Amino acid sequence: MTPTVELLGVRKSYGGFAAVDDLSFAIPTAHIFGLLGPNGAGKTSTIRMMIGITEPDFGSVRIFGEPIRRRALRRVGYLPEERGLYRRMTVGDNLVFLGRLAGLSTGTSRERIDAWAKRLEIADWIDRRVEELSKGMQQKTQFIAALLHDPDLIVMDEPFAGLDPVNTMQLKDVLVGLRAAGKSILFSTHRMDQVERLCDSICLIDRGKSVLQGSLSEIKASNGRRFVQIDYEGDGGCLAGHPLIDSLNDYGNHAEIRLKPGADSQELLWTAMRGLRVIRFQVMEPSLEQIFIDRIASRDD
Amino acid sequence: MTEFSIHKVWIIAQREYLERVGTRSFILSTFVTPLLMGLFLILPALITASTARGIVRDDARAARIVIASDNRALAELARGELMRQRGTRYEPSVVSPASPAERERLDQRLDAGEIEGYVWLDGPARASRHVVFATGRTGDFVLQRRLGDALSYALAAQRMVQQGSSAGEVAAALQPVDLTVVRAGKSFSVYNALRGAVVVLILVFVMFFSLLSYGVMVMRSVMEEKSSRVTEVLLCAASAQELMTGKILGTGSVGLTQIAVWFAMAAFGASRSPYLRTAIEALDVGPSLIVYFVVFYILGYLLYSAIFAGVGAIFNSIDEAQQWNFVVILPLIAASAMILPVATSSDSLSSVLASLFPFCSPILMFERVAVHDPPQWQVALSLLLLVATIGAALFISGRIYRTGILMYGKRPTIRELSRWLRHA
Repeated sequence: MTPTVELLGVRKSYGGFAAVDDLSFAIPTAHIFGLLGPNGAGKTSTIRMMIGITEPDFGSVRIFGEPIRRRALRRVGYLPEERGLYRRMTVGDNLVFLGRLAGLSTGTSRERIDAWAKRLEIADWIDRRVEELSKGMQQKTQFIAALLHDPDLIVMDEPFAGLDPVNTMQLKDVLVGLRAAGKSILFSTHRMDQVERLCDSICLIDRGKSVLQGSLSEIKASNGRRFVQIDYEGDGGCLAGHPLIDSLNDYGNHAEIRLKPGADSQELLWTAMRGLRVIRFQVMEPSLEQIFIDRIASRDD
Repeated sequence: MTEFSIHKVWIIAQREYLERVGTRSFILSTFVTPLLMGLFLILPALITASTARGIVRDDARAARIVIASDNRALAELARGELMRQRGTRYEPSVVSPASPAERERLDQRLDAGEIEGYVWLDGPARASRHVVFATGRTGDFVLQRRLGDALSYALAAQRMVQQGSSAGEVAAALQPVDLTVVRAGKSFSVYNALRGAVVVLILVFVMFFSLLSYGVMVMRSVMEEKSSRVTEVLLCAASAQELMTGKILGTGSVGLTQIAVWFAMAAFGASRSPYLRTAIEALDVGPSLIVYFVVFYILGYLLYSAIFAGVGAIFNSIDEAQQWNFVVILPLIAASAMILPVATSSDSLSSVLASLFPFCSPILMFERVAVHDPPQWQVALSLLLLVATIGAALFISGRIYRTGILMYGKRPTIRELSRWLRHA
């Protein structure tokens, strides 16, 4: 099956600075894809090429199996990083305008706006000017604007920025529902903790280059199970210098340990039980953030 | 991605139009500007009428002018003539004979503020017709001209009397000429022709301010969309060309709406006020002049809004654009400086050249058409040059626009700009 989005060897520079450098990835249908990376990594530059705002210097971007054309862009919904609305117009007027521009009639636009506004609990704000809205309300309005024309590909730049946990959950639920309806979703974020349970697969980028990509479960499995936490009573000194341990932070009755590659945590448990009274022994799943930091560190070495 | 959808241009223009027409500032400027303008025209006449009827008292002091001469008869003639001038209030008096001691005393009275000025009309002054007027009111050019007229009259009248003419003969010979202005078979007094000139000036200034303010409005609107990232959302659904076209047409329609309201108000005013009606008749404001106004306004607006759209795309904030704005506005300012010279000598070489220059022609060629029929070929040439320049401006600005609206942060250098032009 053709992927919804396919980037192949994409490169884009601005005035000699490579914002995106030899980037490739694909997003299958009915898939939530996270484009992760720190600020300035090239996320927004990548997104802009996927929605036809800019063109790559090298490489190709295909959506729905074809090079980007205006007709294909009708099936794309986009939420920019910030604002993206006319501040002095009302929420409703903003949305009707964007809906009409996306090819809907005024009537259809209104029906869909009402439905979405009810679902996202901003129906009372429809006649207010955008500038009167809180950041979260504005974000929801933008969210509706991106989804109004029922796009098959939804591209969102930092969709959860500035949202409280309740609203974040609400929008995450919507995204999961859209995936169930067969839509492909790409969003970018620098907050890696926000996406761990949401994405099917990710691409981590740093300085325009892909650092790590693949399905989330595979990434965790291949990078995982190297972190151990032990709560204990006794003298933690017996752990120091153990051949399996790569690094050790000992806090007196709590130790955080990173094992050497290929080391078996069970052997560490044996050692600990011989020298200490073990209260808790836990093999940690690494956070995406930890994996990312490790990758950057090892690449810079 | 070269398709161009009129429907999308329409949606964009419609939004632009509705957002602006609904604002308080539009409603205020549309209805308050002509009222203020009318007030300024009517107020002086109203005050004069009220003072004449004694409703209002004007306490402004009449200018006390002393005419000092050893020839009392001459001084009295000048005094009488000065008193006869209508519409001004002078309080002339005569001092005779004129001695050096008297002049010292007059200087003292002038310093003390007891008089506003004195004319020193001694023998040598009469012979050379070179007269000194000592005054603190150097800015009152009306007084100076009237004083000059009165003295010329007095000198001429006295010479005629010396040559044996009777008082009646003198009065008949020196009676001022009453000029009647005739245009296209209709005649007007000088006074009404002046009113016509005032109407032309008002139209020309309306053109000037409207071009300037609606051009700047396009620029602001581009910047707003750019800085709020609305542009990015719009570019998913519409092309940069459609955006720019819609924006220019939408904002321009706001300007045309305003002008249409003003014309309607003027027509209503003319139906009520004889003053306005005579002015408009004097000017020969027919449908053709309104057509010229609208044509030059639309073309001028297209030119300046295209340029301002490009400027808006280059910069990130109004502050940043402010200093470069000046470069764009410069020809408009130059045109406004030419408004009066063109009014008085519409066919001079400088007037002709300025009215052909496309960045000034919307204002100056329209003015020439209004005050004096210029040769048809000049009007046609100025329109041709203007349309060609608009084409070039739209082309260049369009290219700058579609790159510039996605560039944030650092302002582009001239070299980068020229790259946008070539590669876009």
